[in-house]
Amino acid sequence: MITFTFNGVELTAREGQSVAAALIAHNERITRLTRAAGKPRGIFCGIGVCFDCLIIIDGQPNQRSCITEVKAGMVVAVQDGA
Amino acid sequence: MELRHQVIVIGGGPAGLNAAKYAANAGCNVALLDSAPRLGGQYWRHTGIESDDQSRHHNFDQGSLLMDAIIANPRITIYPNTTIWSASVINGEVVLRYKDGAFITSRLILATGAYDRSLPFPGWDIPGVMTAGAAQSLLKGSGVIAGKRIVVAGSGPFLLPVAAGLSSHGGKVVGLIEAAGKFAWLPEILSLLQNPAKISEGLGYLLTLRKAKVEMRFKQAVISAHADSDGLLESITVANIDAEFHITSTYSINCDVAAIGWGFTPDTSMAGALGLKEEVAADGSVVVAVDENQRASSAHSELHIFAAGEITGIGGSALSLAEGAIAGLAAADSRTNLRDLKKIRRKARRFALTLQRVYPIALGWKSWLTPETIICRCEEVTHAAIQSAFTELDADDARSAKLMTRCGMGMCQGRICSRNVADLLDSPDADRIKGVYRPIISPITLGELAQDGLL
Repeated sequence: MITFTFNGVELTAREGQSVAAALIAHNERITRLTRAAGKPRGIFCGIGVCFDCLIIIDGQPNQRSCITEVKAGMVVAVQDGA
Repeated sequence: MELRHQVIVIGGGPAGLNAAKYAANAGCNVALLDSAPRLGGQYWRHTGIESDDQSRHHNFDQGSLLMDAIIANPRITIYPNTTIWSASVINGEVVLRYKDGAFITSRLILATGAYDRSLPFPGWDIPGVMTAGAAQSLLKGSGVIAGKRIVVAGSGPFLLPVAAGLSSHGGKVVGLIEAAGKFAWLPEILSLLQNPAKISEGLGYLLTLRKAKVEMRFKQAVISAHADSDGLLESITVANIDAEFHITSTYSINCDVAAIGWGFTPDTSMAGALGLKEEVAADGSVVVAVDENQRASSAHSELHIFAAGEITGIGGSALSLAEGAIAGLAAADSRTNLRDLKKIRRKARRFALTLQRVYPIALGWKSWLTPETIICRCEEVTHAAIQSAFTELDADDARSAKLMTRCGMGMCQGRICSRNVADLLDSPDADRIKGVYRPIISPITLGELAQDGLL
């Protein structure tokens, strides 16, 4: 088990899991808010095609949470506007 | 950095793996590129979690044997985590750019695969609505069950392993909703029986679903989704539909995940960027046109460019393996076992076409849309916006609609919406092919471009 933070809260994950999967395991489903309507979005295609699950990882926005593996100490946050 | 290889294969799924294997066994030095960290593609996706149970996968033994053989083959160099963002022909050679430089070859095999086909409906952008493939990748790739109450829906044989996988790993699948009829396969029974291995695989999933008491409903579809006060999926509206996909009656189901798949769409972006000839297949998808030896048609006749697997037409893993093998041999100018492989390909292709007839996607889905329904998820373009571009601004082709509404201009570059927009505009084949043209194959930052000396 490793730990990472999501919106400042520490969560556990298994190494090798995607960021999106690690979040869903904690029932966290919203990765970003859309830039026009501010609507919540989460994982959709799951394989890096649709860019819906964009998220901020270690300060970098526009990361695809479905194909990025979670790492110990990662700082993950909802992306407002993408 | 410039890397030259005799043969380059793009895509580490069944087609690409077999292409690399056959080309290498025929004596070529091969580079196998994939954007993912591990080989296997979507079909043989496996976790990077140590000591994890990999039994979540269909035919995984076959896949792991093939992957082990590839990894052990000294003639094959594997480049994982390698995303190609540009493909072009320069001085008679194919140049493939990735973030650290370029791969160069005169013999290329494209095996870039496919992704779930999605149909739009009111609420399909609510978190909790996802593709069937997404639920599958969460389970196979990360060992995570997508939700607490899951509905699996859409059409096609892929829904069976998704629902069976979820329920056999402790997930609660509250319904499997299939648009085709319960006995839609009956008229094709003789053709289906030609492929006993696939039939027994299907029966295995049905047995699992029966044991888990998963209710299967036919001639139904998810036509809208509804969010709770937090904006998360709370319930879906399911409709009884006729053969044209028109709604006859509705009811609702409470669920936190709706995993919906309508078959698959080939990702031909790289083929399009290279100017290879594409055509529209019987199921309406854009595919790469190939000859008997999987060779694609290029204006640069000195180049040997091949395509294999789902990008030449959706057909499943058996067809992908056969096409990959033939492409690998052809790229290496070998003819060993070619006759037998072509026979296997013929049979697999027939089976694929049979399945397409059993699970047709009718255009009545357009009647599920409301004016507010999002069509382009990236740019948040509604059905009303596309309709008004069409009726008021005369945007009767996909390109004009795109320029006026921004649909298809977002990060996914129309991968999700272009096929649906083409259906909404009743686009001719030429427009459908233009609609999947992406000169930049995957997004790249200006910083990365600058690093490469291209700015």
